[in-house]
Amino acid sequence: MLGEFEQLILMAVLRAGDAAYGIPIHAELLRRTGRDPSLASVYKTLERLEHKGFLSMRTGAPTPERGGRRKQLYRVTNAGQKELRAALGAIRRMASGLDVGLEPS
Amino acid sequence: MNPPRLALWLAERLIDQRVREAVVGDFIERFQTSPSRWWFWRETFLAIAHFPARPRLWHSRGDGIVTGFVEDIGRAARTLRRAPAFTLLCAVTLGTGIGAATAIFSIADPIIIRPLPYADPDRVYVVWESDQNGDRNNVGFATYTDVRGSATTLAAAAALGNWQPVLNHNGTAEQLSGGRVSWSYFRTLGVHPALGTDFDSEDDAPARRNVIILSHQLWRTRFGGDSGLIGSFADISGTQMRIAGVMPPDYDDVLMPGAQIWRVLGYDATLPYACRSCRHLRMVARLKTGTSFAAARAELNGISARLVLDNPKDYPAPGFQLVQLQHEATREVRPALGALLAAVVLLLVIAAVNVSGLQLARAFQRDEEFAIRAALGAGGGRLTRQLLAEGLVLAAVAGVVGLVVAKVGLIELVSRLPATVPRLAAVQLDLRALALTGIVTLAAGIVVGLTPLWHARRRGLALSLRGGRRLAGTPHRLRGALVVSEVAVAVVLLAGAGLLARSLFAVLSVNGGFDPAEAATVAVQVSGPRYDDSATVLVWHDQLLAAVRAVPGVENAAIANQLPLGGGFDSYGIQAEDKPLANPELAPSADEYRVTTGFLQTMHIPVVDGRDFTDADNAAQGPPVAIVSRSLARRIWGEERALGKRVHMGEDNRPWYTVVGVAGDVHHRGLDVRETMQIYVPTHRWFFTDNAVDVVVRTSGDPARVLGALRRAVLEPDRGTVITRLATLAEVRARSTAQRTLAFALFGVFAAIALLLAAAGLFGALAGAVAERFREIGLRSALGATPGDIVRLVLRQGLGLTAAGAAIGLVAVLAGAGAIRTLLFGVGTRDIVTFLGVTLAVAAAAALASVVPAWRAVRVDPIAALRAE
Repeated sequence: MLGEFEQLILMAVLRAGDAAYGIPIHAELLRRTGRDPSLASVYKTLERLEHKGFLSMRTGAPTPERGGRRKQLYRVTNAGQKELRAALGAIRRMASGLDVGLEPS
Repeated sequence: MNPPRLALWLAERLIDQRVREAVVGDFIERFQTSPSRWWFWRETFLAIAHFPARPRLWHSRGDGIVTGFVEDIGRAARTLRRAPAFTLLCAVTLGTGIGAATAIFSIADPIIIRPLPYADPDRVYVVWESDQNGDRNNVGFATYTDVRGSATTLAAAAALGNWQPVLNHNGTAEQLSGGRVSWSYFRTLGVHPALGTDFDSEDDAPARRNVIILSHQLWRTRFGGDSGLIGSFADISGTQMRIAGVMPPDYDDVLMPGAQIWRVLGYDATLPYACRSCRHLRMVARLKTGTSFAAARAELNGISARLVLDNPKDYPAPGFQLVQLQHEATREVRPALGALLAAVVLLLVIAAVNVSGLQLARAFQRDEEFAIRAALGAGGGRLTRQLLAEGLVLAAVAGVVGLVVAKVGLIELVSRLPATVPRLAAVQLDLRALALTGIVTLAAGIVVGLTPLWHARRRGLALSLRGGRRLAGTPHRLRGALVVSEVAVAVVLLAGAGLLARSLFAVLSVNGGFDPAEAATVAVQVSGPRYDDSATVLVWHDQLLAAVRAVPGVENAAIANQLPLGGGFDSYGIQAEDKPLANPELAPSADEYRVTTGFLQTMHIPVVDGRDFTDADNAAQGPPVAIVSRSLARRIWGEERALGKRVHMGEDNRPWYTVVGVAGDVHHRGLDVRETMQIYVPTHRWFFTDNAVDVVVRTSGDPARVLGALRRAVLEPDRGTVITRLATLAEVRARSTAQRTLAFALFGVFAAIALLLAAAGLFGALAGAVAERFREIGLRSALGATPGDIVRLVLRQGLGLTAAGAAIGLVAVLAGAGAIRTLLFGVGTRDIVTFLGVTLAVAAAAALASVVPAWRAVRVDPIAALRAE
């Protein structure tokens, strides 16, 4: 099962594409949901998702604007995509037909 | 901008390594695009909380440093509990030092250390005119508008004057303290009302100036904190004024400490008191961002040169003086606070040294305990940790004692500080003070804990076991050094206290020029439109005098606009008819007293030539008369007689006053201020009348007894009268030296504690030495040494240490006494009387501390000493 924040993080990783590390992931969250979690809690969730096998992580190259520190780049695994699809499908099915202003017009 | 270094340093060490690089890299990258130090710190703490680094030491079994240290702390606590007297002595000694340091730091921190809580406070400057002596002067409104209009280096500027209005609210009248300020005042300081709006530039005109802003405290206490008040009207000194806003609760006006209310200045150039030489306003300015101080000063001086050229008779000299706001606001308390901070650091040092000495002495007694533990396999590191733990536990107890001392001391101190000290409201035991206490406590713990170790290292622990106590008689250089340093610090503090005491006595013995015994004063103020009429005010004066003269015990009474040492600032440049000056601004300035007949007599100020005022001098017709003080007469006319000469004050259209008498000088601004020039004129012959006056009465017997009746009497003419001061003249005189008295009292207490600690340290060292030289002393007696020889042996050691400490201390005093020069009065920094007194005090304390050890030494039984072998 995926928690709500985990779903958001997985989608943020997908959206960030090839450059999915802390800053862009956090930026996607902020831009689309207005949430401003701490970077630490983003990493905590990334770590948990990696542990569950939904994310894979590789170490990137150091860059000068990071004071020469390397990035941890994330990619959603096939298992992760499947899990996300299941979770979003469940939500869509539960929401369909409910008149709470959720349905896309 | 770089990320906060400390946060980065912490992050690099305390975030777990599996995410450290990525997280810290993200922090830095994000910081480049949105540099917020606060954000960086927050994220760092959260990351440390989510991913704490796990040092291996924490986990290791048994003797990992952390778990081992917890055991050490427990053992140390048990050890100290077994010696409660020793622990208590150490904790109180060290705690007093820590507490005193924390209290003084808490006072000094918001006043002279932390920047003012305004926006960019370092860009705000107070602007003074310079006079011919290079002294600073207030500015006239015309000068202010010229500077404000033409300076390009200033982002904002404002003029301000003091204002003491009366608030009539819910049937009671209350005197308020506040200011009249340009509409731009709060913008210049970089603050903004918390409620309502700031002054509007439209308000700052003579026709619309009845707009006020309240302090948060006034709003809460007198108006019940009602936010619906904004825009409504309040009765201020009989006029309805619109409340525009309320300042934030933490706003503290350092230019007018304790201000409760501000009103727009409301001047324009046409007003008679808006002229260039009407110097009753202060000016404050904010430099534009990116403008250097030098550029601003150069521009203002250029403006000044032009103004002087255009108006040569309005300025004594060209030039402005720019003083940074915080420096200006704290300049009176800065020397005393700095000296007290230094004193309290010395006190802390001596307390730490003393406790180290006690700990050292105890280590000697515990030689065997250490030796046994060493023999059982405890390594040097283990023993080090145990001693360190004992020091830390001791210091922690002392830290708690210190907090109590600081809390109590701070409340006591703040209640004794004069309200004119700026930022007093911000003084509190805050996190910064607590952090400082923590750091000092930790440092003291380490020092106290590790001092005995030095001794132990030198001796070699294993030796102790083999030799037992017999080897304990090695020279105690370390303990001697501790005593010497304690005596030296005590000498420094004693010398400081001595110099301040001599200054205080010198100030108190200054003859103020009037007789403060058997006299009392009550300051009163009436308000309302009816007092706009001078005749009404003069009738009120007569009614006041009649009422107080009817009080039993009152022999004589008079009214004046201000009193010597009373805190008034009315002064005028005095021009003599027969000594015309090309520039009237160069005329000598005298304190101007507007008095009723009998003022000099009531104050016991002698008339040394000519006559006192009579009722006839109040006649509306005829040439007005004045009395000048002796030094003013001498300054203007030298050896010539002043009587019959004519003098002039203020604007050209004011009349000439004929001098009919010369009075003795009085000290007006302070007993320690040497300028003593005064001029007296009858209240009826001045161009305005005072509705805020000082009534002074001469009494038969104790003046304190008439105060109650005096309070009732002054209310008789007008029930709405506000009493702003009620005191005996002796109290008024004493209050003028309150700050000096307080500084001396604190220094005196610190010095007394320091002397006590030094004596205790010496006693400990000598007693220890006698105990350890038990055998040697016994042997000497057996070989024929007389009791006198033995006493001399002990005294020589004690006095030797004392002399060495005193010598070092006196050298330090000679080198450092200049630091308190500005606090001294009537005594130099190299005052031989003080130094002799200090030396005697230290010698006496040393002798006292040596008596018991010497007596013990004499009583050593040679047989017992030899048998102990």
